[in-house]
Amino acid sequence: MKKWLRENSWRHAIGIFICLFSIFPLYLVVISSFNPSGSLQLTSFIPKVLSWNNYHTLFKSPAIPYLTWMKNSLYIAGSVALISVMIGSAAAFAFSRLNFTGKKLGIQLLLLVQMFPAILAISAVYVIMERVHNFAPDIGLGTQPGLLLVYLGGAMGVNIWLLKGFVDSIPMELDEAAKIDGASAVQTFWLIFVPLAAPVLAVVTLMSFIGTFNEYILARLFLVNMNTRTVAVGLQQFIGGQYSQNWGPFAAGSIIASVPIVIIFLSLQKYIVSGLTAGSVKG
Amino acid sequence: MMTLLRGKVAYVLKLIVVLLISVVMLMLTQHAVAQHEYAIAIFLAIAVILIAFTYLTQVSVPLKFFIPGLLLLFAFVLSPILYTVVMSEFNYKTGNILSKQQAIEQIVSRAVEPDANGTSFDIKIGVSNGVPALLASDTINKTYFLATEKSRTDLTPDQVTLDANEVAATAPNFRVLTPSEMQTADTKYSNARFYYGKAGYFVTLEGFDVGIVSHQVLEYLPQQGIFKSLVDDSVYRDNGRGNFALVTDSSNMLNPGWRAPIWFENYTKLFTDAKVRGPLIRVFIWTMVFATGTVLTSFALGLLLAIAMNKPMRGRRFYRSILILPYAMPSVMSILIWAGMFDTEFGAINNILGTHIAWFQNPSFARFAVIFVNLWLAFPYFYLISSGALQAIPTELNEAAAIDGANPRQIFRKITLPLLLQILSPLLIASFAFNFNNFNLIYLLTGGGPRNVLSGEIAGGTDILISYTYKIAFGSNTQDLGLASAISVVIFVIVAGISLYGLRKSKVLETFK
Repeated sequence: MKKWLRENSWRHAIGIFICLFSIFPLYLVVISSFNPSGSLQLTSFIPKVLSWNNYHTLFKSPAIPYLTWMKNSLYIAGSVALISVMIGSAAAFAFSRLNFTGKKLGIQLLLLVQMFPAILAISAVYVIMERVHNFAPDIGLGTQPGLLLVYLGGAMGVNIWLLKGFVDSIPMELDEAAKIDGASAVQTFWLIFVPLAAPVLAVVTLMSFIGTFNEYILARLFLVNMNTRTVAVGLQQFIGGQYSQNWGPFAAGSIIASVPIVIIFLSLQKYIVSGLTAGSVKG
Repeated sequence: MMTLLRGKVAYVLKLIVVLLISVVMLMLTQHAVAQHEYAIAIFLAIAVILIAFTYLTQVSVPLKFFIPGLLLLFAFVLSPILYTVVMSEFNYKTGNILSKQQAIEQIVSRAVEPDANGTSFDIKIGVSNGVPALLASDTINKTYFLATEKSRTDLTPDQVTLDANEVAATAPNFRVLTPSEMQTADTKYSNARFYYGKAGYFVTLEGFDVGIVSHQVLEYLPQQGIFKSLVDDSVYRDNGRGNFALVTDSSNMLNPGWRAPIWFENYTKLFTDAKVRGPLIRVFIWTMVFATGTVLTSFALGLLLAIAMNKPMRGRRFYRSILILPYAMPSVMSILIWAGMFDTEFGAINNILGTHIAWFQNPSFARFAVIFVNLWLAFPYFYLISSGALQAIPTELNEAAAIDGANPRQIFRKITLPLLLQILSPLLIASFAFNFNNFNLIYLLTGGGPRNVLSGEIAGGTDILISYTYKIAFGSNTQDLGLASAISVVIFVIVAGISLYGLRKSKVLETFK
């Protein structure tokens, strides 16, 4: 018993302490979302009265088109995820299975471009899309399709390494068999690769969904109109320094927006962790 | 499925899709040409050709897989990068945003002055025979006339009806604009010059109710490329930096200017202009301190945790699922939540500490808060990669060391830690590069502040290079896209250097494995 204490107690002490550190802000947001007064000030850390007031405000108040924001976020992140996984997997397949001149150079260039943090070119993106707006107001600055296009610019690079690793692991014999049966490369991609890779594609799609859902600055720059905003931009603008007044509805809104993401993340934990050690970085 | 991919059906489907896309893109090309956006038009035209060529012929199979991704990559990643470099060579800031042609047109249209007597009329704006017109009234002399841009028709008092203010409201061949037309008619009317009848003079609008008799004071001479004053014959010449400046006094410039190439001036400004250099150096130092500090603190906490949890023990799965929560939360939300917790009056942090610290008003406190919040956001990541790396270290090494009489502390310092660092260094470097540009954290938590508003300084105490650049490019008072682009290019060189170093390290990792 004594030995157990000596060997394990400090581990539990650290574990509990850091768990408290992790959970504390989240706990605070949850209880303040149920705080009837809706203000940032909490009289105690253990709630005495629970109320749905803040959630009610969130969905009913005309000042916060929260449902529209959620819909926008789901639409943008969903479309980006689906299209970018198609683009990414096609490129990964070609890099893995097809022979063409400049293949190695292509991979290296892609890697190089990837290293350029997108945010550095943000003023150029802004100016270019402003010009696009001059002749095509539907896809330029200030529109969701425009934002979508900008997000898709990075589609080929982002997940290609994960996907290429997976394509590499599919046995060549399958392709060869398909080839003997007369399948073209495009058919091999659709009929062999896509069905086999479906689980991986699903994971990559969801990860890309999380990434886009979480994107702030481009969305902020593009979506000026209240009703086109994503939930991240909408809530940020709503709280905009007015913490003491708008805290309650904000807390409720951030919880509703976060829960699905946290659930997706936790269920994909295994893949994300293995992706981390493969070199992708968040945080 | 098979029929969709093979045979005539597939071919027809493909043809329809390719045609639809081509038609849409060709329409866009045409619009782009109409707006003189030739670079974009050329890109679109080439894209259409490439798409049609790739999907309707069998010349290149790999291109079929790459074309959509490549075109998007070129349009929204590569060309912005190139354009950033181009912009950094230009004097491209508030007051110098337009093209030269647009700037000249603007100067001409702005260079009007009221006549010597300040003659003005009460007016109604409207339409006469389908063209913009105004109905002017001199309420004192009871004279009225109807003016379009081409002609003037004098009216007798019995041809008009007056409103309560004795201003003519109706006239033959004239219809007053409805309020909804007014809202959209702004530019068409405010830039118009209505015929007055006296040579060199015309009527311009001063708001929607008053017209003033004005005359042109500056004239553009395209052959010489200069502006000449019609009042005193003074000459304004292109100063080579995007403005027309008075020949005798170069600080007297005409507005607006245009974006003009100034080559490396934006770069040299970074090092020579004290107003730019001072803040830039401070921001750069803090960026380095922040990126290093945040990686070190988060790595230390993550590693401590990984060591503590690196043993099968009761509750490990439970701890793990709680510990990962900060990483699973959408970071934009977490940062905003933390910003609320650091609120001076009602925030939880001051509440618990029993203090009344204005966290974001004091540079030191704000910097501490930034690193602290990022510790919360990032430590789970370092915990995950550290525990992965710990498991990759062969236990035989530790056992051998133990047999040789090393105590646990020595084993950790001499064996585990060096190996860990070697395995993780590419990820630590990548994380450094990421935090070097961790815009969201700074922007959403402190907004880069606190900053000295009185001195007109735009760099705040917690601004990192990227948030500082953003402020320069999109600031509320002046926007200097040229300078911002130059800083972006410098940041890119730094980050690319760091990343390349990291990549080489990760090759080391491969050989190590």
